[in-house]
This record gives sequence, C-alpha cells and structure tokens, in this order.
Amino acid sequence: MKLEFVKTICPYCGTGCGLLLQVRDSRVVTTLPDKKHPVAKGTLCIKGWAAHEFIHHPDRLTQPMLKKGDIFQPIPWDEAIGLAATKFKETAEKYGPDAVAGLSSAKCTNEDNYLFQKLIRAGFMTNNVDHCARLCHGPTAAAMSQALGSGAMTNSITDFVGADCIMMFGSNAAETHPIIMGEIYKGKDQGATLIVVDPRRTEVARNADIHLQIRPGSDIPLIGGMMRHILDNKLEAKEFIKERTEDFAELKNFLKEWSVRKASEECGISPDQLRQVAQIYARAGEAMIVFCMGITQHACGTANVFAICNLAMLCGHVGSAHSGICPLRGQNNVQGACDVGALPNVYPGYQSVADLVMKDKFERAWGRPLSDKPGMTVTEIISSSGTGIRALYIMAENPLLSDPNQNHVIESLPKLDFLVVQDIFLTETARFADLVLPGSCFAEKTGTFTNTERRIQLLHKVVDPPGDAKDDFTILCMLGRALGLDYDYTDPAQVMDEMAEVTPIMAGVHFNRLGSAGLQWPCPADDHPGTRFLHAGKFTRGKGLFVVPGYTPPKEMPDKDYPFTLITGRMFSHYHTGTMTRRSSFLNREVDKAFVEINPDDADAHGIQDGDKVRLSTRRGSISTTARITPRMNRGAIFAPFHFSEAPANALTIEELDPISKIPEFKACAASLVKE
Amino acid sequence: MSIVNDARAIVKKLLEEKQLDGVLGLSCKHDEPVPFVFESPEEVDSLVLEPKWLFAKLAMNIVRTSPADFRLGIVCRGCDERALIELIKRNQLDEKRIHVIGMACSREQAEACLCTRPYPAIPHLGEKVQGVDPREEETAKAFLEGETIDRMQRWTKELARCIKCYGCRNSCPICVCVPCKLEDDLWVRRGEIPADMVSYHLIRAFHLSDTCVACGGCTDACPVGIPLMLLQIAMRESLAKEYEYEAGTDPGRLSPVLSDLFVEPCEVYEEPGWPDSFKVSDET
Repeated sequence: MKLEFVKTICPYCGTGCGLLLQVRDSRVVTTLPDKKHPVAKGTLCIKGWAAHEFIHHPDRLTQPMLKKGDIFQPIPWDEAIGLAATKFKETAEKYGPDAVAGLSSAKCTNEDNYLFQKLIRAGFMTNNVDHCARLCHGPTAAAMSQALGSGAMTNSITDFVGADCIMMFGSNAAETHPIIMGEIYKGKDQGATLIVVDPRRTEVARNADIHLQIRPGSDIPLIGGMMRHILDNKLEAKEFIKERTEDFAELKNFLKEWSVRKASEECGISPDQLRQVAQIYARAGEAMIVFCMGITQHACGTANVFAICNLAMLCGHVGSAHSGICPLRGQNNVQGACDVGALPNVYPGYQSVADLVMKDKFERAWGRPLSDKPGMTVTEIISSSGTGIRALYIMAENPLLSDPNQNHVIESLPKLDFLVVQDIFLTETARFADLVLPGSCFAEKTGTFTNTERRIQLLHKVVDPPGDAKDDFTILCMLGRALGLDYDYTDPAQVMDEMAEVTPIMAGVHFNRLGSAGLQWPCPADDHPGTRFLHAGKFTRGKGLFVVPGYTPPKEMPDKDYPFTLITGRMFSHYHTGTMTRRSSFLNREVDKAFVEINPDDADAHGIQDGDKVRLSTRRGSISTTARITPRMNRGAIFAPFHFSEAPANALTIEELDPISKIPEFKACAASLVKE
Repeated sequence: MSIVNDARAIVKKLLEEKQLDGVLGLSCKHDEPVPFVFESPEEVDSLVLEPKWLFAKLAMNIVRTSPADFRLGIVCRGCDERALIELIKRNQLDEKRIHVIGMACSREQAEACLCTRPYPAIPHLGEKVQGVDPREEETAKAFLEGETIDRMQRWTKELARCIKCYGCRNSCPICVCVPCKLEDDLWVRRGEIPADMVSYHLIRAFHLSDTCVACGGCTDACPVGIPLMLLQIAMRESLAKEYEYEAGTDPGRLSPVLSDLFVEPCEVYEEPGWPDSFKVSDET
C-alpha cells in the first residue's frame, strides 16, 4: 500500500484550478484541493471535488474498434493507425486536400492540439481544423483581436479584487466558473459595485448590487444606450480615446440612433436604471467587464463583443491592473487550443494562414507545403459532410450534443466516407464513427492546459490509461509517422519546445519553467516572467479600434405558435455534453434528468406544474423534459441545459450563424411548451 | 528553520526505531508541499510543516485501508489532534494505531484561524502561544454579536452565495457519516443553488456542534468566502460554559450530547445530583 498525492489541473472549466489526486494501487480514489494553487487557493467547486469519479468508469474505451456492418469490433493498434492513414491519404488524393478535416479538442493538452493541427495542416495541406471554441468564444477571438489585437482575457482572475466596478454580461459564473465567482465576490466585498446583465435572475444576479434583466439578445441596445448617456454627459475618457484609440468618430455616429429611451425600450428596462449603470461604470476609477456565452452565442455575437470593447475603451477601462475585459473561457483548455492553432484561419500564436510570410515560416519549420486558404469552421465542416468534406478526424469532441440542430448533425455524419473518433467514452458522436480510437483523460497524460487568464499550467500523469488505450500524444505521433510526418517526439516537453520556436507569444515557455504556478502568456523570452494584464500603455494592435456593432435582434422572435424564447446553457453539477459528469455518481445524483425552467406566471397560464412532464418544441424538433418552475426566469423566456443526451436541448436550437465568427445562436430561438 | 529540522529528526528516529510504520505529513519532494506517508528515514528530508493542512480524515482512511498492525504517525497541529481524538471517541479510529507528533502554531496563524487553542496537548514542535478570542475580532464580531435581525441578514447575505460544492463537508476532518444527511432527499433539495440555508447549512452545523474542533477547514475550503466556522462558535461556547466541555481536548470524556436521559448528565464526569430510580440501591 503506497499512497500518493499528485498535483494536477482540473479537467472541467477554464478556471484551471489545481487539485491533488490521491492514488492507491494505481487507482485514483479521491480529489483534494491544492492549497498552494495561485487560482484555486485550496478551494474547489462540486465538479472539481468529483474530478476523479469518471477516470476508472467501466464505460471507458480500452481498445481500438472498427465498425463492421453495424457492430464495432476490436482491432490491433497498428491496423487501426494504418487504416486511418490510408483512408485519409486516399481521400486527399481522390477529392483534394480540402476533403479532409479535423476537429481538435479543448479537453486535450496544448501539445495534443499542436500535434493535431500540424497533422491536418502539414499532413494534408488543408486548414480544415477547428474545435468547439467556435461554439463558445469564437466571436470573442474575432472581435477582441480586431479591436484590441488579442482575443484573450486582458487581466488575471485575482485582479477583480481592487476594481471599483465589476460588470458581468451573460455570465452565470456561480454555476459555470464558481472559483472565479469567489474572486468577484471578494472584489465586491472590498468595494466594487457588482452589476449583472442577464435575462435570468441567476444566483449571481441575486447577489449583485444591480441586476438588469434584459430581453434575450438585446445587449447592443443596452450598451449603445449606456455609451450614448456617457457621451451626452461627457463622462468618456477623452485623453484615453485621443491617445490610444482610433475610429471614434464612427462610433459617435452610430450612437446617434441609440437614445437612452429607445435603448431601454428595446431591452426592457427603465431608462433611469440604464443611466445609473452607465454612470457607475463610467465613473469608476478601475472597472472590469466579465462576459460569457450570453454575449457570444448570438447571431450578432461578434457585434456584441465589439460593443463591449467600445464601452471599455470609451471609459478608458482597459490596460491597467484592475481594468479590463474578461471573457471567461468554458473548457479547461479552450484558451490553449486556440493559442496553439486549432483554428481554421491561424497557425499557432494567432499567425494568419493567409499571410504568405507566415505560411513560408511554417513551411520551413514543418518541412511540408501548406495551404494559404483559411479552412472550414466546425459548423461548416459538419454541414458539408459528404459534399465538401469526405473524411473527418474528431478528437475528443461530441458535436452530436454540442452543435445546433442535432437532427442536421445526425443526417450529416453518416454521409462521410470515413469518420475517426478518438475519445475516452463511446460518445453519441463516436457511435457514428467508422473507426474509434481509445484516448486518455487528464489524469493519464503529461502536458499543459492554458486557463482563461492565459496561465499555462503543467499536468502530471497520475495513472495509466485503461486497457489498451493510449495517451493522445502517443496516438497522434503514431498517426503522424504513418502519414510520413516527422513525429518522432519522445515526450510532450519536446512538443512545447517546438511550439515555443514558432509561437512568439509563448517563445519563453518550456516545461522546466512552469513549476506549480505556471506562466501567463505573452511570455516572449526565456527570462520573461509572463504577463498579468494586457494592453498596458499600448494595445497589442497599436491603437484600440472602435468598430461599429451592427445590431440584429434574434433571428427567431416568439410568435403565436412558439410563444417562448428558449435559452440554453449549463448548470452547476454538469459539464457540457455530460460525457464525464453524467458518469460521476456524485454529480449525476445532484441532477439526473433534463429540465426546463419556466416563470411561475407562464407556467400557470399554460397549466404546467412543477415536476410535470412537458414537451418542449421548436421548428427544428422537440424533446420530452421536466418542468421546473422558478422566479429566476422572466416571463416569456425559458431555459434548458444541454447536458442530457436523452433530452438534447440542441435538437431544438437554431443554426443561425454569426456572419463573422460562425457561432450559432444558442441563446435565443422561439419555442413552445406543453404538458404531456 | 529549526522547527522543521526538529520535526525531521523526530520522524526519522521514530521510523529508524521502527516504532511506526509510516508518518503522515507534508512533503515537498516535487516542488510544492503535498500530503505524504513517510515510510523510510531517507524520505524524511523532504518533510515540511507549512501550509496548514488537516490530516485527521486522511489518517482515518489510511489506517482503515492498511494492515491491522500498521501504526501511523501524524505530524499535526492542535486542531488536527483534537479532530483525531474526536474520531477515536466516535469509534472511527483505533487510538492504538496512531501516534501524534504535535506542533504548536504561531500567533499569526492563530489569528488567521481565530483559534482559541493553537497548540496540541503536548507540543513536540514549536512554542505554545496564547489563543485568540473570536469575539475580539472585528469581522467575526459582526457575525456573532448585535441584534438578531442584523446577524440574520449578515448570514443570509453570505449563505446566499453558496455554490453547493460540498467543500465544507468534504474538508471537515470529523464529518464522516455514511450516508451523509446532506445527500438525503428528506433534508436537502437536489440540483439547486444556493444550498438551502436551514436544511443544508444549519443541519451541517448542528450535526457537528459537539464535535467541531474549530479547525476552520470549512472556512478555508469555501470558494465564496463564507466564514462557516463562525456558525459553530456559539455552540462551542455554550458547551464550555454549561458543561465545561470542549471537543477533542479530553479523550476520556464523551460529549454531553451523547449521554442519554437515564444517566444524565453523562456518568463519566459526574454522578447525577438527584435520586436515580433506575439505580438499585445496595441498602434495600
């Protein structure tokens, strides 16, 4: 009996809490908080405490499987890898390189993601590589990098303490980023005014100083009205605007149409409240904006983020220790997956694929010809399955539950000539695969995750993957070599060293420097200490750019047949498509079935009682779920979490895409609800 | 640094002389401190004493899952020692299988934890310092004193932030019931936050009212900064005043709450002062 405690990083949200896994006889038996971790400081949320529960689950995939007829049959690794390489090569030869695509994973390490995107780019000469960041902060990356020069959270999590105002848009951090919520409360207790903008009266909203319960999708009118009031009352940061920004005149022009009265009518709050909030934010010495899916998951998601950037720059609230714009990233390594280039338009370090200088640089680094044509996004890859895309490699993603309009995904996947899914469980998506490769979870690998505040942190391998499963690094190396690439890496540290060479923002990052606190990029040199907050003195792009946010209300407004606006999202005890949390007994005990939240008056009007079986329908489809009556919802809006495969909220959502970032409008579509 | 060296010398000697099979403490073998069971004297050089880490529940699990002749030493603070004693009194741990290497906390640490008794029964390490009276501390006062309505509001505001992580329960060294009342549908509603103020937080607090050793593990583990340990202060004070009882300080004395109506108050410390009709007199 030798008991061991190994420090590693939580596999759930983007907060990136440190935890200790207790191992006995090669089994992880408990999770404990890490008292010395810079973010978590010895605390964990319910998911963190249960992080070990799915590791040894009997459903874990333990061997490669090939579908013969309708049945998966085990095959040896060498055959599996050989087959995958042959099929992908054949497809690329027959239909051209752009017929191959890959979905990388925000659950996997930076090293895994780097190898994955390099495999797609260098192996097939296509940029068809993307991952689920598209479905969460695609608009953030698009808008913030255009306006400020970097798509990442500008400040650090501990910077909330010291701000005078914290304004949260569409973030239910108490359920989705609980440890960050703790820091925000600490900031509030030390003097910050906490303002929450959310159509739902969430726990965060109830504990705030001010809650603006706006109509779903009316963020631009709200921010437009605020900015107009700030300008009318000369509360803008004139020096800041003059010295550090450009195109202010265009914003001013745009604001002409957003009088406070019109804005407040559009978002369903009182003009006085709008004015009050504008004044608090503008007058604060230092102010932070937090935003999340409530902002991005709209067909005008990118414009929403532009609006937020405009508001912050208008008041000069960006570029100092307690002033900034904080998108909270969802997945444990969604920040990292973007940083290392698992996106169709950029190489590692956000270096554009269309830039020939960059293309040349990477061609020399990787020794292969590359394409300068930006690739397809997640949603485009799925919808062109069988037409443009013929062979698809999915690593640890579950688009069947995470993408909008599930029926469409179900129709699309079988049209592929060849689908490889690499995962730890036979997910709903993996069932459609031709070849399934058993990968490894966070406790079974070495590598790095990058959290929402750009902190690159080291994972430690705790146990071996089950059965014949292999860690994703090994699988990618095997497949890379089978495709003729130079994938002779001995360990992930070597991959990080290669990344550092080609990625300026991470040039100084090496495993031996990470220690237990990690490093926050930009970290451009080996002796650079990392960066706590961005845009100090000067924006990454030079001058901050005001971009006029074109407002489009939600595509589907409620009508006679579909009288509600359906909002989808997460809840505290489950995570995303539930692959891990629903296999954790403690988490699943907390909520074991799907539900839909509805306002008491709406419930009355529709004859629905708490706990009733109800049918929730939209123009895409319908699901059977359970009603949960709660004053948290405003009249006319209902909420359904998307974790439950037996009642998938994404069978209902609309495929309306944001024109710039291609994010679907998960946060608003018209729905009906009837008692079953 | 001498206190760390003292600790290493003591642990080394105990292992060398084979008085113990293992010693639970913190090791900084890999960069940062993590709990570790030292089994050979050579490993002991990585032993460290900071940060504060509660080992009682871990020790209980280690003893339970190791061979019957395995004896475990624990390098621990006063609060942790008191937690071990409570576990022993409640038949969760065999006292013959553990040995405490006690460590006194500094005054600063006592202040940070609002600790009334920042030392173990026998401090093998460090110097005993005066404890802190929580009622003297400004932020604690606001939760403990003043009008009921004000305190109620104060607590409501704090507890409304609960994210139901179960960290208070998980980190408590003496919260060991199986099954747990907090996982019982009769008491605590599933799937909603904040956890109910009365049925979650007060049940948890009262369940521990005579066992709580005021280690502050619950407060330390709370992500949203609820000062949960303060919930216990009133009960601890009242046990001290009415019964001269303090959890974890006297291994031989059971909690007054455990005594039943027939032998009230508990016979281990006092004969009842009234005629006991159930006791057969020798003289009749």
